Amino acid sequence: MPKHYRPPGKKKEGNAAKYITRTKAVHHLQVSLPTFRKLCILKGIFPREPKKKVEGNHKTYYHTKDIAFVAHDPLVEKFRDIRAHKRKVKKALARKNRELADRLLNRQPTYKLDRLILERYPAFVDALRDLDDCLTMVHLFAALPAVGGERIQVERIHNCRRLSHEWQAYISQTHSLRKTFISVKGIYYQAEVEGQKITWLTPHALQQVLTDDVDFNVMLTFLEFYEALLGFVNFKLYHSINVKYPPLLDPQLEALAAGRYSDSWLLLVFLELYALCRYVSAAPERQLGDSQAISSSENEQSEDKKVDAQTDESDLRLAQLQHQLPANEPGTLMHLVEDATGADDEDNETKECKNLFKKFKFFLSREVPRESLLFIIPAFGGVVSWEGDGSPFKESDEDITHQIVDRPTQGHMFLSREYVQPQWIYDCVNARTILPTEAYLVGRVPPAHLSPFVDNEAEGYVPEYAETIKRLQDAASKQVLPMPGIESGDLDDPQNLLAEGIIDRTEASEAAEKKRKLAMLEKQYHDELNMELQGITYSASLSNKNLQSSVEDVQEDAPADPEQMEKDTRDLSMVAMSRKKRRLYEAMQISKERKKANVNILKERKKKAEASKKE
Amino acid sequence: MAKSRAEADHVEQEEPEEPSENGFVREFDHQEEESERSDAVGSSEDEGSSGEGEKDGEDDEEIHQSAEESDSSEDEVAPRNTIGEVPLEWYKDEEHIGFDITGKKISKQARKDKIDSFLAGVDDSKNWRKIYDEYNDEEVELTKEEIRIIRRLLKGRTPHAEVDPYAPYVDWFDWEDKGHPLSNAPEPKRRFIPSKWEQKKVVQYVRAIRKGLIKFDKPKEEPRFYLLWGDDSSVAENKRHGLSYIPAPKPKLAGHEESYNPSIEYIPTQEEMNSYQLMYEEDRPKYIPRRYESLRSVPAYENSLKEGFDRCLDLYLCPRTRKKRINIDPESLKPKLPSKKDLKPYPLTCYLEYRGHSGPVNSISIEVSGQWIASGSTDGTVRLWEVETGRCLRVWDVGEAVQHLAWNPLPELPILAVSAGHKVHLLNTGLGDAEEKMRIKELLHVEEVLTDDAGNSVAAVSWVQHEKHDGITLEHLKTVSTVEWHRKGDYFSTVMPSGDSRAVLIHQLSKKHTANPIKKLRAPAVSAVFHPTRPFFFVSTKKNVRVYDLSKNKLIKKLDPGLREVSSIAIHPGGDNVIVGSKEGKMCWFDMDLSSQPYKRLPAHPKDITNVAFHRSYPLFASCSDDCTAYVFHGMVYSDLNQNPLIVPLEILHGHTSSNGRGVLDCKFHPRQPWLFTAGADSVIKLYCH
Repeated sequence: MPKHYRPPGKKKEGNAAKYITRTKAVHHLQVSLPTFRKLCILKGIFPREPKKKVEGNHKTYYHTKDIAFVAHDPLVEKFRDIRAHKRKVKKALARKNRELADRLLNRQPTYKLDRLILERYPAFVDALRDLDDCLTMVHLFAALPAVGGERIQVERIHNCRRLSHEWQAYISQTHSLRKTFISVKGIYYQAEVEGQKITWLTPHALQQVLTDDVDFNVMLTFLEFYEALLGFVNFKLYHSINVKYPPLLDPQLEALAAGRYSDSWLLLVFLELYALCRYVSAAPERQLGDSQAISSSENEQSEDKKVDAQTDESDLRLAQLQHQLPANEPGTLMHLVEDATGADDEDNETKECKNLFKKFKFFLSREVPRESLLFIIPAFGGVVSWEGDGSPFKESDEDITHQIVDRPTQGHMFLSREYVQPQWIYDCVNARTILPTEAYLVGRVPPAHLSPFVDNEAEGYVPEYAETIKRLQDAASKQVLPMPGIESGDLDDPQNLLAEGIIDRTEASEAAEKKRKLAMLEKQYHDELNMELQGITYSASLSNKNLQSSVEDVQEDAPADPEQMEKDTRDLSMVAMSRKKRRLYEAMQISKERKKANVNILKERKKKAEASKKE
Repeated sequence: MAKSRAEADHVEQEEPEEPSENGFVREFDHQEEESERSDAVGSSEDEGSSGEGEKDGEDDEEIHQSAEESDSSEDEVAPRNTIGEVPLEWYKDEEHIGFDITGKKISKQARKDKIDSFLAGVDDSKNWRKIYDEYNDEEVELTKEEIRIIRRLLKGRTPHAEVDPYAPYVDWFDWEDKGHPLSNAPEPKRRFIPSKWEQKKVVQYVRAIRKGLIKFDKPKEEPRFYLLWGDDSSVAENKRHGLSYIPAPKPKLAGHEESYNPSIEYIPTQEEMNSYQLMYEEDRPKYIPRRYESLRSVPAYENSLKEGFDRCLDLYLCPRTRKKRINIDPESLKPKLPSKKDLKPYPLTCYLEYRGHSGPVNSISIEVSGQWIASGSTDGTVRLWEVETGRCLRVWDVGEAVQHLAWNPLPELPILAVSAGHKVHLLNTGLGDAEEKMRIKELLHVEEVLTDDAGNSVAAVSWVQHEKHDGITLEHLKTVSTVEWHRKGDYFSTVMPSGDSRAVLIHQLSKKHTANPIKKLRAPAVSAVFHPTRPFFFVSTKKNVRVYDLSKNKLIKKLDPGLREVSSIAIHPGGDNVIVGSKEGKMCWFDMDLSSQPYKRLPAHPKDITNVAFHRSYPLFASCSDDCTAYVFHGMVYSDLNQNPLIVPLEILHGHTSSNGRGVLDCKFHPRQPWLFTAGADSVIKLYCH
């Protein structure tokens, strides 16, 4: 009798009852496979791995409760409605009943995903935690060609563009960008929102090719969910900084932006944000100002103001924009930013990020990736302009400190500014210091661009440039916070120093060694003192000591070399371990070895490269 | 009809145009041409209007005629080409385009090149009016009038503005019933009363509209986004319902090698790239780092859409399970053992070496008092050493390689049992005082008769007086591997691994008697040991350890070590714990009270364990192996039955060197001191002291 035989009349139990295969699930839900896929994607249902695969190893298993969860969703019924509706329209058209078809098309059944989002992410933090894929996808679609007649609707691409810009505007405005990295695949950004680290990838701003080996139905279903999710997330985020969402843009400027420059859209979002932020930040101050007044009247007042503001909002905004656009002094811009967020209490990191480029004024040449830099530089407190329409200040501005250039040679150079390659910005951001610009000047091959996501210490290999950056960081931090007593050899507590990030680990160990030696010397000194007190002559004590040491030598002779000792202790502890732990330990050792081998390869390559360079 | 007329007119107008526009005509002044044309039109119209009074059938013809007339009057030049309606490509490769009316070839015009024609076109403001006539191979310039006609035609009007297509119809014919309509039937009623079915349909619609089934205006759009997550204060509501959600693992973040400008060591060398080609498809690295000199030279990543799609597939197709990822320091896996200092004393360092044998020392045995040590080697000698000085006291030459030797456990009977080949010798060591010597001599005397009697086929063993040394020799049928004494010193057991039913024998020294209590073993016997206190007898076969009760003469227990091949066995002086060494380097500790399964398996040695030993008084045990090491363990057995024995590895003793693939062959503890003797294949015996 097979083990999983179930006598008739007895219920299924165990894995057979808990899990069903995909085919059975589809039959159970009475939907087609594409609809099932769509439902799974929208509901966030995924297959699970049962302990025992009752129906075969090569099948996909869903939990029965998951499937029941889908079955109870109104979305299933909605999809059926949509299908029926489509059939009605088709029928009407086939009967040449144009009127009915039009009327039907006017009232297509639609569905909203807000309920699903709340179901999947009951708390806002949950949504932020899962935002990585969402942002990457939206940014990817924002980079696709918005051409009609392709497999993707143009409106969706525009929507993705808008959502991504809104997100970037928020991140930039709140200075919550933390890390950036230019990879071959695109540019990685890492931001910290409400304590969650969110990483996303934007493709390079080049034409993307629509390949045939992807199923756009699946991707678009994902995108549908992600668009809704990002919309709600953006709403919440804008709400948290008291900005109206969606940001209303001046239609004229928007048209201009959409028509000609995709990235001046971003600028518009910024300007919009600035304007709104100023407006919003001004409101509570006003309220604070006349706090003596009765609260109700105050509310009325503020409401009145709001209403007023809304009525001639567009006029006001236009005025503001026009005011800012041509004569945009850096001071006022900075002021705006300060006004917007300066009042809030911020953590140190945000402050650090905010002030990184505070003293600088950047100008972008036309060949650099403008969209990315327009996002990064303001996020770290810099002021930026660019070559082209709508730029806040011209290239000839005297106050510009850095011009970002990515060309082999620069024709006319202003002496008052430095001409650096875009990588400098990214490296500065990752290192959180202003790196020296010599290596990044025009026409030079910049130093290696290193990933900020790698823990070099854990990896076991520190690239050369990482060490350089580390040194510069240390120097900078020392410069900023001159700590008393480091130079005077205060090596009492290397651990403490380590915590302060002054010296790295090896130095710490050296310091510890030093300390121990010092202690030994001290002890010796004390011993000698004692002996002197006891009245032992120096020669006697010497002989005495020699005796002691000889005895010690005999004792220390016996254990063989330290390597052998180490091996012995390891073997001994292995003997005492249980089998399970021993296997685990061995596996760990194997992975360690592998890592070491990789590092060795890197070191070898490095050595070879250096050798060839010398030749 | 009007339309057809217009068409005809147009055709007639058009046709003659073609021949008229030759090289000469183009020379004409524009104005002149126009005046001529207006003349022509005027004349045709004149004629048309004059003919109106006549028959209507002639109307068309007349226009024809007039047009023809006007054409013929207009151009004297006949159409140039006379090839007729043949495909022009017949003349494609020819020098001429056709023949003129006289039958002469018309040669092709020289082709202008594109730039010239373009420049000419730019200069000439009338260029847009020029058309290339392929049939006659010439350019035709349309006149203003012709353009006007074409425009009118394009708009779908009559070519000439003067023609009135909607002139009142004049019925020129007469017939009899001219005054009546075609059908005289009365107008049906349905033409002027409202339709019933239409009305029903209308009522239906009206009702549907009233009920709200049909709505005409588009549904009002609600704001798409709103504050979905209010305040996160209520934690209980913020729980996700249903099954536990397993978040998808985040994609791996980019490392240094994915940089557009990685440092030089991350870029594989050419040889490595070539080696990738030799790899299997799935082993090949997915991504090969490349270096770009500047940011502007970085191309679009062609796989970005594909990778996005793969991620989507992973998200909705990959089964998810929660796997515990152990992120611990491997050192923390090591068990916390009591510190070794607390477990002292135990043998630690090599203190003495006993040299003298010329072959591997197979076995050693220490006298009960701890003063003497005997060793047997493959060189066929048995040596007696003084423990503390290392002096070799005596040497016996037994002729064959010594397998095993054992001291009699009674201090007053210093007899040494030595197994060498098929024989077991009981040697008088000559130690002890005179009285003891006498007793031993008596004991070690065998009458020859007795052995003769027993010399038939049944007897497994024959007791013979040793010729050379004073002692007894027991001649066995097969090779004897081990000899062990009973604690009282009267009985001893020998094991012949290939002895089948007579593998294990028990001999009584006082009676010179041999018994074979164990008939059936199922596996080759390895060694046999007496229980230190009770009348039990442990026989270890290659597979398991069997425990016999000698008084009842039956099997009472079978210990199953689960090892491949048992090589040695030792019993704790308490008698309840047994260690078994195996040829796969593992050691098993049995607690007899617990179960027949091992309490602990200790995988100590990488090679065969040759011997294991318990200390008689200290909580120590040791194992020695062919890997030239001996392990010393702390093995504490508590008198409290609830507490399991404590086993702590203490020390690895090195010092022996390997010879012929064998390392340490035997190890024994000193009976009183925490010292360990080891006998090596390098013919050295070592003493390790604390």
